[in-house]
Amino acid sequence: MLPAWLDFMGYGPRLFIGGLLTLEVALLSLLIGLVLGLLAASAKLSRSAFLRAIGTAYTTLIRGVPDLVLMMLLFYGGQIGVNAVTDWLYSVSGGTIDMYININAFTAGSITIGFIIGAYMAETFRGAFLAVEKGQMEAAEAYGMRPLQTFWRIRFPLMMRHALPGIGNNWLVLLKMTALVSIIGLSDMVQVADEATRANHAPFLFLIPVALGYLIIAGLSEIVFQWLTRRYNTGVLEGDE
Amino acid sequence: MSDTTPPLVVSNIHKRFGDNEVLRGLSLTASKGDVITLIGSSGSGKSTFLRCMNLLERPDKGSIQVHGEEIRFKESRRGRELADLRQVERVRARLSMVFQNFNLWSHMTLLQNVIEAPVHVLKVPKAEARERGMALLERVGLAERAQYYPSQLSGGQQQRGAIARALAMEPEVMLFDEPTSALDPELVGDVLKVMRELADEGRTMIVVTHEMSFARDVSDQVVFLHQGLIEEAGVPAQVLEQPTSPRLRQFLAPKH
Repeated sequence: MLPAWLDFMGYGPRLFIGGLLTLEVALLSLLIGLVLGLLAASAKLSRSAFLRAIGTAYTTLIRGVPDLVLMMLLFYGGQIGVNAVTDWLYSVSGGTIDMYININAFTAGSITIGFIIGAYMAETFRGAFLAVEKGQMEAAEAYGMRPLQTFWRIRFPLMMRHALPGIGNNWLVLLKMTALVSIIGLSDMVQVADEATRANHAPFLFLIPVALGYLIIAGLSEIVFQWLTRRYNTGVLEGDE
Repeated sequence: MSDTTPPLVVSNIHKRFGDNEVLRGLSLTASKGDVITLIGSSGSGKSTFLRCMNLLERPDKGSIQVHGEEIRFKESRRGRELADLRQVERVRARLSMVFQNFNLWSHMTLLQNVIEAPVHVLKVPKAEARERGMALLERVGLAERAQYYPSQLSGGQQQRGAIARALAMEPEVMLFDEPTSALDPELVGDVLKVMRELADEGRTMIVVTHEMSFARDVSDQVVFLHQGLIEEAGVPAQVLEQPTSPRLRQFLAPKH
């Protein structure tokens, strides 16, 4: 049971669960965004003109279209697309492959936000990769390291010290972007607060805790980023670079 | 019976960057225990030549044999490429390079730098690599700096650390790419002293350098490069004391 002052006219538990959902969507989007960002940055830095074109198309397209439009496109359009594929599989297999895949709001929201933030992460990573001194990778190569070893043991950790400030920034943008998932029907804390406000005409009672909820998540992540920054800055003198 | 296969044989190496033909057919054989110094003015191709030996630069033409094993190339649409990356990795692990700018990995301590490749490339057990690493740091006079990061060390200390990192691979040949050029003059001596000791214990070394005293005192063979070709080569007493090439004479003439 929640204490009385956290009851919020009976909306307390739902607000809290909405807050957890916000955090879940945010963390899943972050994961997707980091992976896509790394891939897109590698594509943009690749020797292959084809991969470079794909990377550039992705970052340009995503960063140039409003987040809300992208989210609705993926939520509605994605379902239509998936249905078309399963229908096609059904007909070509003569009815043996019969499935229905439902894109729920949670999946659609997380994928879309991850997709959007991935484009910003790509730019962050690209700049950070370029900031790593070439000699560091050359030494790894000269000592017989495999390309994957060179990447994970040398290039990635050195890149991270340059990328972390940008990642932290993107994370806060992403966190606030999760408020958009209420549009496609997900009961995150914004949606619960909106519903409660409409019913009770008491906006401050519900929206201020929501604002505080975001601030708490942002504050906690600040601590995590400080820890990560210390970790990846080993070997860097204060005032260096 | 002793193994007489030379650790490194390179022949007829060509390399161009765009329109600029940097190397125009260079050959060199390093027998076991040889110390070979490559000298020449900047732009003569000496660093590029050295970097071709461990395939940091891919030669356009020519062959490289490491202890009798020939590096395989293949022709592709984009030109000549390495045929077998695993082979190149294996070969590189036997040719340690010491760089002009040290290139110690900046996110690792000195000891971590020294054990990194032995542990992850040669798969030496960590405890054993540590023990040997400490012994090598002791040797180059840096045992008490083992837990320092490169940024906390002077250039001379970093370079001696880089030499310890190279020795940790127990290489057949050590390649030195202008190891003292980035150092303050007062730090050059310590690095050269370590290199002289290595030469004295019979290591096979190929050294690109501007240090004429090192070339004169330590090397078995001096190779003078000019515009991507070997202009003159031989024992130091010959090449440095009685040069026949007018370009080498000019190169060796005291600068004012």
